[in-house]
Amino acid sequence: MAEELSADFVVVGSGICGALVAMVLAQRGASVIMLEAGPRVERAQLVANFRNSPRRSDWMSPYPFSPWAPHPVYRPEDNEHLVQAGPYPYPAEYIRMVGGSTWHWAALAWRNVPNDMRMHSLYGVGVDWPFDYDELDPYYQWAEELMGVAGDGDEHPESPRSQPYPMEPVAEPWAMRRIRERLAGTYRVASNPVARNSRTFDRRPACCGSNNCQPICPVDAQYHGGIAAAAAEAAGVRLISSAVVYKLEHDSQDRIVAAHYYDPERNSYRVTGGTFVVAANGIETPRLLLMSTSDRFPSGIANRTDMVGRHLMDHPSTSLTFDADEDLWLGRGPQSPSSISALRDGPFREDYSGYRLDFTNISRVDSTTQRLLLEGVYGPEFERRLRHSAAREMSVKTVLEVLPRPENRIALSSRKDALGLPRPQAHYDIDTYTRRGAENALWHFRRIAELMGGSNLRFSDENAFANNQHICGTTSMGEDPNISVCDGWGRTHDHDNLFLVGTGVLPTAGTANSTLTAVAVALRSVDAMLPAEQGSAAEQRGS
Amino acid sequence: MSGRSVRRVLATLSGALLLLGTVAAAQGQGQDDARPGPGEYAAILGDCVACHTAPGGEPFAGGLKLATPLGDIVATNITPSEAGIGNYTLEQFDAAVRRGVRADGKRLYPAMPYTAYAKVSDEDIAAMYEWFMNEVPPSDYQPPATELPFPFSVRLSLAVWNFMFLDDEPFTPDPSQTEQWNRGAYLTQGLTHCGTCHTPRNLLMAEQQSRFLAGGAVGPWEAPDITSNPRTGIGEWSIEELVEYMKTGNTPRSQAAGPMAEVVDHSLRYATEADLEAIAVYLQTVPASAGVQHERAVHEWGEAGNNLAAIRGERLPGDPRDWTGAQLYDAYCAACHRASGQGTADGVMPALFNNTATGREYTNNLALVILNGIHWVGEGHDMHMPGFAHELTDLQIATLSNHVLEMYGNPDARVTIEQVAALRGGTAQAQGQPNLLRLTRLGIAAGFVLVLAVVWLMLRRKLIRT
Amino acid sequence: MRLSPDKAAAEPSTTAGLSRRVVLAGLVTAYTASLIPWALAESAPDVDRGNFLILSALIAGREGLDNELAIRYYDALLENDEGFPAAVSAILTLVNQHRIDPLKLQAFLDESRPELAAVPRRIATAWFLGVVESVDGARVLAYEEALNAQLVSDVLMPPSYCYGGYGSWAQEPGKGSVDG
Repeated sequence: MAEELSADFVVVGSGICGALVAMVLAQRGASVIMLEAGPRVERAQLVANFRNSPRRSDWMSPYPFSPWAPHPVYRPEDNEHLVQAGPYPYPAEYIRMVGGSTWHWAALAWRNVPNDMRMHSLYGVGVDWPFDYDELDPYYQWAEELMGVAGDGDEHPESPRSQPYPMEPVAEPWAMRRIRERLAGTYRVASNPVARNSRTFDRRPACCGSNNCQPICPVDAQYHGGIAAAAAEAAGVRLISSAVVYKLEHDSQDRIVAAHYYDPERNSYRVTGGTFVVAANGIETPRLLLMSTSDRFPSGIANRTDMVGRHLMDHPSTSLTFDADEDLWLGRGPQSPSSISALRDGPFREDYSGYRLDFTNISRVDSTTQRLLLEGVYGPEFERRLRHSAAREMSVKTVLEVLPRPENRIALSSRKDALGLPRPQAHYDIDTYTRRGAENALWHFRRIAELMGGSNLRFSDENAFANNQHICGTTSMGEDPNISVCDGWGRTHDHDNLFLVGTGVLPTAGTANSTLTAVAVALRSVDAMLPAEQGSAAEQRGS
Repeated sequence: MSGRSVRRVLATLSGALLLLGTVAAAQGQGQDDARPGPGEYAAILGDCVACHTAPGGEPFAGGLKLATPLGDIVATNITPSEAGIGNYTLEQFDAAVRRGVRADGKRLYPAMPYTAYAKVSDEDIAAMYEWFMNEVPPSDYQPPATELPFPFSVRLSLAVWNFMFLDDEPFTPDPSQTEQWNRGAYLTQGLTHCGTCHTPRNLLMAEQQSRFLAGGAVGPWEAPDITSNPRTGIGEWSIEELVEYMKTGNTPRSQAAGPMAEVVDHSLRYATEADLEAIAVYLQTVPASAGVQHERAVHEWGEAGNNLAAIRGERLPGDPRDWTGAQLYDAYCAACHRASGQGTADGVMPALFNNTATGREYTNNLALVILNGIHWVGEGHDMHMPGFAHELTDLQIATLSNHVLEMYGNPDARVTIEQVAALRGGTAQAQGQPNLLRLTRLGIAAGFVLVLAVVWLMLRRKLIRT
Repeated sequence: MRLSPDKAAAEPSTTAGLSRRVVLAGLVTAYTASLIPWALAESAPDVDRGNFLILSALIAGREGLDNELAIRYYDALLENDEGFPAAVSAILTLVNQHRIDPLKLQAFLDESRPELAAVPRRIATAWFLGVVESVDGARVLAYEEALNAQLVSDVLMPPSYCYGGYGSWAQEPGKGSVDG
């Protein structure tokens, strides 16, 4: 049945950024269609999937894989949806389903430090953002109130704020308290600001400490894109799932006029609209733009200057795991409660990467079990060693910065996916700027281990940088179209009625998990898409 | 009307009033860290907010609609304003609270539990009056008038009802009992008006005093037996447990939900330890309800157990309608209530076995809690349990409820899909209760017919005579 | 039907178990008996299952093993490899002959009997992780009841289960149990 699909705004992607943008647009009176490549999934199903998974350490395993909307899968085998072109592997993970990847996150809701947005003028590396931190502050606040962020502004002077967090910090796990107490005087360990309820908030319960933030919070104490998508629908957004947008169509004035999508049977549909917003994550957004070629745009929509997909950045991590000299028992409470922010900024950023130092609270039980099984530890000794590691093993990791480089990028592969669409391809490298930061961190790793009476120190491999799935830069904001894809409002340079939101628009990655910043930037972009009426401050106070 | 002269009361209490007024004024209203004065405290125990403060409304400004079997009764504004009781004298306040008569002479429906408040002492009434008139902020909100269908709209009929059922004597202490017992009896029969919900009612909707606290209903909710019956009531509970229940709404063998959660939240948890103990002591002496002897106590059903062997490693059915009770439990309930129904060790999330929630014969309460959760108000962690109405269908809730009852509770108790649908839609009646509306109407119709018959007979005799 | 609670059942004393062990085809010698802390939960219905229970007890080093789980693990392991019972028997024989310490078992087999080397790891993976390989890929047979969860259950919950009320994770571990 060929229904005429049309709306004031067409949003591609129903992740946390797309859904919140759609929600606000609908609250401001616009008609909105939101197109999501993947299916709808219930939280409870994900919880059951997790418990029934034979590979529960693979946190992607509870998530459904849709052949028509594939996402990268690396275990047990690499499905090569994201083709690796090197030189350094970029095994990014994301989830294509209603609500997107934040179903799976640990809810870290960091703000940038102001200097993250002035890297070029301050440190001579990277780029400056087209607006500064002060302009973003009210949108950060709005995002924190929508999502329900728990934190204490006094613990984070590095990110100034004009109003308090909506919720007190989440109760500190015993293990983190001991680390904080033992490092006091040398390092200040602070509670991470998190989109996790420290009390009933937004009709969702407080955290109950199930230590399962990743892959799935069983009680929705943690905010995620699924909640945002539900709020968008409640506000009147029409959400069409299992709709894989494969092409954006433009007219002779270079205005986007339609989005074309496939359903799982490869039937094609055309959705028209006044304004288009692409929010399909930092890999799928450039992929879509690159696929949408035409005579006037042979390199793809919004790509006159060949910047789409370039400046790919993420947060690489190195780590140290060791046994403390007291029983800590990681695994009680939320997975990522505490960190050290002192090394995120400073004059050294001229020479090497800043970084955050994160303490994990993820349970050691399954990982230790697998290690002991590999080592062939049987008998009563197994219990002794399992309990020893479960009680004493702890880990600290860096969250390093990668600078925007045009040769790091997402391009199109010649290989196709199940719908016949070209797969995304990653060109990525970790350069000396970042590696020097990692080297610098080693001293701090050792010092921290010393302060904790650490033994059995296990450093991550010198050349092994774990990825954090904060896919930034691929559709960067900027004032100069020669080195950016969209302006400070997310409006593409080439198309007046095409906006981009998501982590992909962030021109530098900083040392902060990107979600909160991406949401704040997206909310600010809505003011350019559809300004609020006078006195509609009500919506600013949350859904 | 009783022979009490309120003027005499006024005279004797004028000195006390002055004192109370000063005390109340000095205490101030709304200071969380200050103990409430006697007037505010009495109003808390009386739980006036439960009806007279609408959700999101101004305190005591009324507007809350109480759904009764007769229709909606709208609570009035009792703030000291024109729209409220601003012009009430103490005599008028007393008449309203203890005799159900408004200042304009109209009678209140016994949804206002004046039959219980009749027991409240002169001192407490005077203290409450002072507090309402001086500490409660006035509000100009005009709630809509109550309009019940005929014949219940005829308030004069309430005079008859009151004549039949209102015992307007204030509480008289029993000299053979301790001071503590008497305090508990005074509170339970009076201010905390437990019988309003927990005592079964007759056809004319009056409490059956001979079956005090043997079990009643509030809308679809069962207000269970809280007599000293060891099987169906609280006979086996210790004083400590009763106090804990009233203070926190959460004990291992029973949790407050629905209207009772509101009572604990708004009222009982603010009572003094001594008063709660007094109520507990008194409750344990309330004569045990009679009736069916169940094979075991409502808090003795079930044990820890799980069906993990059947569900681990099994693919979930694609159609959610095909999920088994064990699968539903695993996905929706087990995170908090744990895989074998044992709850968390600290008891914050309770075990489901040996729990009155699953051990009763009637199952509306269980289904309602799964639908709506348990919510308190304004204490921060007010969501004690989330509701699942928007996540689970009627079929799934029925399947899940029956699984829980089989595994952890009374396996003969059942929840049906129709029942869940009616509970969700707000059309459900309490189980085990006569349909009071129909019976009341029948009763009145029968009474009417009887009167007509008598009149006809008399007329006929007159006619025959003449 | 109420199935076993999610804690491993406590075990009766050794003396009754000894007579059962004698019945089990003599594969329990003084040596292996000394390594098994406890007798088995119930008499095994046949020799193969009995051997599996003995080898499991050796590998798990644990006081008592859940009988329901033992049946399910055995069935799954057998389904995956019909030579499983023979392999178990062979390994037990070696353990008795050479008095192999469980900690050295894997290395011993890797070196001298590689065709048997996969078996102890499969048994260990079943008991400790609750996972068994099958023809269609691995299957989870237990998560909450897997031994690795049981062995730390005095302090930790298996992830995805509430630790307790809000803030309960802030207390020092061991001050109040968690396994309610």
